[in-house]
Amino acid sequence: FQQNRCNEYSPGNVLVSVNPPLLEISGSCPCVLPNKDTLVLCLDVGFSMSNSATGQEPPFQQAKKVIQKFVQRQVFAENKDELGLVLFGSDNTKNNLAKDDQYQNISVHRHLMIPNFELLEEIQNDVQPGSQQADWLDALVVCMDLLQNETLGKKYERLNIVMLTDLNTPSSPDQLDIIIGNLKRAGITLQFFLPFPVDGGGSNPPHGGKALSREQQQGLEMTKKVMMSLDEEDVTGVCNPDLSVFKRVEKRPMAWPCTLTIGSSLSIKIVGYKAVCEERPRKSWSVVDAQTHQKDDIKRDVVYCLNDDEETEVQKDDTIQGYRYGSDIVPFSKVDQDQMKYKTDGKSFAVLGFTKQSMINRHQFVGTQVLKVFAPKDDEHAGVALSGLIRALDDLKMVAVVRYVYARNGNPQVGAAFPCIKEKYECLVYVQLPFMEDLRQYSFPSLENNKKYTPSEDQLSAVDSLIDSMMLVEEDGEKKDLFKVNHIPNPQYQRLFQCLHHRAVNPSVPLPPMDPWLTTALQRPLAVATRCQAPLETLKKKFPLKEVVKKKELKTSKELFGNSCLGTGRSTSLAELFGNG
Amino acid sequence: MAEWNAYYQNEDEYVDRDEFEVDYKCAGRDSLVFLVDASKEMFIRGEDGEPSPFDMTMQCVHSVYTSKIISSDKDLVALVFYGTEQSKNPRNTFEHVYVYHDLDSPGARRVKDVDGLRGENGAQVADETMGSGKTNLVEALWCCSNLYSDVKLRLSYKRLMIFTCRDTPHRGDCERDRQARTKAGDLKETVVPLWHLPGGFDVSLFFCDVVSPPEDESELGLQMEPCGKLEDLRKRVRAKEMKKRSMARLNLCLGEGMNVAVGVYITVRQTKKPNAVKLYRDNNEPVHTKTRLYHTQTGSLLLPSDTKRAQVYAGRQIVMEKDEVDVIKKFSDPGLELIGFKPMERLKLHHHLRSALFIYPEEETVTGSACVFTALLRRCSERNVFALCKYTQIRNSSPRFLALVPQREELDEGQAQIEAPGFHGIFLPYADDIRNLDAPQLPTASDAQVDKMKEIVHKLSFKYRSDAFENPVLQQHYRYLEALALDPMAPEHIEEHIEDHTVPKVKMIDQCLGSLAQEFKDLVFTLASGKLGKEQYTEEAGGAEKKPKVEMSEDELRARVQKGTLQFGVKVTGTKKRELIDTLKAQLAK
Repeated sequence: FQQNRCNEYSPGNVLVSVNPPLLEISGSCPCVLPNKDTLVLCLDVGFSMSNSATGQEPPFQQAKKVIQKFVQRQVFAENKDELGLVLFGSDNTKNNLAKDDQYQNISVHRHLMIPNFELLEEIQNDVQPGSQQADWLDALVVCMDLLQNETLGKKYERLNIVMLTDLNTPSSPDQLDIIIGNLKRAGITLQFFLPFPVDGGGSNPPHGGKALSREQQQGLEMTKKVMMSLDEEDVTGVCNPDLSVFKRVEKRPMAWPCTLTIGSSLSIKIVGYKAVCEERPRKSWSVVDAQTHQKDDIKRDVVYCLNDDEETEVQKDDTIQGYRYGSDIVPFSKVDQDQMKYKTDGKSFAVLGFTKQSMINRHQFVGTQVLKVFAPKDDEHAGVALSGLIRALDDLKMVAVVRYVYARNGNPQVGAAFPCIKEKYECLVYVQLPFMEDLRQYSFPSLENNKKYTPSEDQLSAVDSLIDSMMLVEEDGEKKDLFKVNHIPNPQYQRLFQCLHHRAVNPSVPLPPMDPWLTTALQRPLAVATRCQAPLETLKKKFPLKEVVKKKELKTSKELFGNSCLGTGRSTSLAELFGNG
Repeated sequence: MAEWNAYYQNEDEYVDRDEFEVDYKCAGRDSLVFLVDASKEMFIRGEDGEPSPFDMTMQCVHSVYTSKIISSDKDLVALVFYGTEQSKNPRNTFEHVYVYHDLDSPGARRVKDVDGLRGENGAQVADETMGSGKTNLVEALWCCSNLYSDVKLRLSYKRLMIFTCRDTPHRGDCERDRQARTKAGDLKETVVPLWHLPGGFDVSLFFCDVVSPPEDESELGLQMEPCGKLEDLRKRVRAKEMKKRSMARLNLCLGEGMNVAVGVYITVRQTKKPNAVKLYRDNNEPVHTKTRLYHTQTGSLLLPSDTKRAQVYAGRQIVMEKDEVDVIKKFSDPGLELIGFKPMERLKLHHHLRSALFIYPEEETVTGSACVFTALLRRCSERNVFALCKYTQIRNSSPRFLALVPQREELDEGQAQIEAPGFHGIFLPYADDIRNLDAPQLPTASDAQVDKMKEIVHKLSFKYRSDAFENPVLQQHYRYLEALALDPMAPEHIEEHIEDHTVPKVKMIDQCLGSLAQEFKDLVFTLASGKLGKEQYTEEAGGAEKKPKVEMSEDELRARVQKGTLQFGVKVTGTKKRELIDTLKAQLAK
């Protein structure tokens, strides 16, 4: 919640593309912000929140999911951010400002605390729709009061309030300017999640939805006013469809300062950063005793055994180390080991030469990361020099082949530094290239020169129609990409945290099925799936496929292919269908 | 891999088994027999001082031996000579056949043996030990076939390569030719790609009948071209000596009911230094480890079923069964599922996570696969699109997305395959795998600066080849091991240094650049409105030869310091110069 944003949680809305799938959790990255954030979730539980058009999930349920996802993410991120929860429209009243008939049906459910599983349990079990209504502006004031009182004397990076409401209560706008002034003064940012689209003034009913009530239209106007006065940049887009709203907490990039050298006389100061790298979860599983669930009840013991029939145990002290050299095993001492080791002087980013980009095969990249290389941020000369290199390489369609050493006595790499020129910055993109020992030069039988496999024109055009129908990037206009892998959170971790969350609050219940949004996110987009039906049918007719069942391997091939993908059961019947024709 | 280890640090059994490791126990061992002609003709050097065919062959064998040790040390290799004077074979039943190494995994001794057969000396050694005599290929083939049958291990892949420069080994003795053909016919299962050496070799005279038909008729062309150069020979031997092994056979699902069978291969993969093995001190025999779990309180042995798995978050321990932990990773059954297609320019260069895969059809599993595959390959290539697929490698592995990039077959002038036909599977990053960086705002270079850099780039441009760089770490490791294996007492004597191509040839680069480097630096400093010091550029700049020698007596120096006329003709930065002079003054003031 870095900026004031107005979002809604209705799936399929026009203006904001923040759907629940994007509310990703990420336990993989520790929070590295210098100071902690604090945030109050302000949830409307009033009776109108339970109303919904038939077949649609009530706004309350949608809002609850958003909150659960968010809190879940915070819990697994294990940062120090504090969180409060205020309910309004609740049957009870519990807040500091409540007096006489003021601030009724607003309940501070949880004061500012680091979120934990107890909170998740409470949200799951205790937060239920109420039968009352409350003014959302009153609720906002309660939240501000909460923030003010409970952050006194503490240091916070940011103060945030997140409102989840359908705005379906009459509210008095007379205090609006004062409230805005206070928000500004306290430096509180505000974010709205609404169950309907926000543009068009609210007079047009959202597709399939109900038209907005008078209260909602009035509330929306007020919302816009608040948002505009808080953040002028957001005037036009009240809701910015930026996906970073629920972005994972970032790992602070580790700088790798070094010097790019070309021979002995040309050196440019550089800083490298990991730009792409497989992210792994921070925590691992430990083994615990099945009964007591205690880790300390288990001890792991490693014993060394001779390769004789008795598997005679020997002491660790009676073993030495050795290396295999083909059929030989060579014992070696510490001295040998030190002598054997390849030594490097220190970090290095030394140019070995330059070559055409076309000489570098994309499919021969090795290593597990990509570095982006910049000049140090306050070094203009290095900036200009590096820019000269980047632009020269870009114009010539060439790359620098460099020797890369991460640190003293690190293993040297040979890699390619590609020029990369973006609107806002320039850099080199470094990728490791293979050594001779890494390559396996297999040759495979020719496909296109083999008459048996040569497709007919007819078959080729069937493939063409399939490709046409399955293009994920639409050619017309903005070239929208329907399936961006780099926008999908790693499903493994989403699923892991879903299960951890579930087990933490329901210890004895079996694990839940996969979140539907996750399954959907990993599938062929619906539009494409529909579009390709007919071309696919044609393709099936043009290309008969027949599974070869070898008697000997019957079982294994069943195991291997029996259940895979969308089922071979169908492909078998297909083979029967087309086997004759 | 550090992070990987960190992830699994306290859980050995969770270290995922090497995804790419082929199960050799199941598959059996590969075996390769080099059958080398040792007749007089083989020892004749080429006209331009080129090594003799025998010498070239030994270099090839040597490089196969060493590369086997590095990449697949379980494979078996044999070296057999025919056309020798002496005979040496297991039962000594074959004449003029000399089994130099029988089928076994290569070690240091064998590498040294083959090394001894290289060059002028090698020719002499060969002459002394084996000599050149009559040729009987029939006997030689018999002998080789016995070598295979004598091996007790299960062999998965048998290859026999014949190296010769004589296209009529029996000089027109039709009877012998006929017998050799028959014997080669018997060996069909195991034999025989052929590696013949230069000199107007006519395959049709005899050898075309000895060579078994290739796995596929289309491969025929590749092997029949005689191969003259050592580099080519080496390359072809390399390409042929390893069995293509698929790491997985999967279905490429184009849509419901449309499953194409494909094999997944690794064509590039980082070869790491192998782990050390533990040996028993008394006899240097390897030991193995067993891991046991004990109950701390009762001391009783625990079965895996007596344990569960746990993680702690927000102070709460969350416990799961091991099965649950595994099954959480499961999304779909192993396979490749087509999502759609994208134009090639959507594949970003920097979207790289790990080495790519190679996908090739498995016609033997699903008939018709190769045809669809070929059609898809051709149209994707012609339309410049890639296929986006969801990839599940094994049971209980979570999905990754691959860009399947079409690769059409490419041949060199000699009809040898440079690029195999198929799809390269490029791993694509998820949102979590991409880090947001704050790029610094810095001035950019002017055209003049860029142009000067272009001159530098031109001067230092070369033709990159992916097999041009050996891994110096591995090479050094094995070089030492080889030496230690041969002479355990004298590791210190290993003086031989490997040639490390990853180290820049600084002198050569400096020479090539000449004044260009200085010119570029001048441009950077004059044109940029630099507020910063020049140190970083000038520090290492200049080089020794540019610095005029400043030699003067202490008295002269003292006089100059006093007059304040001390000057250096060296381009040193302000601060540095200041410091230098200050130090000097301080010193002389004493």
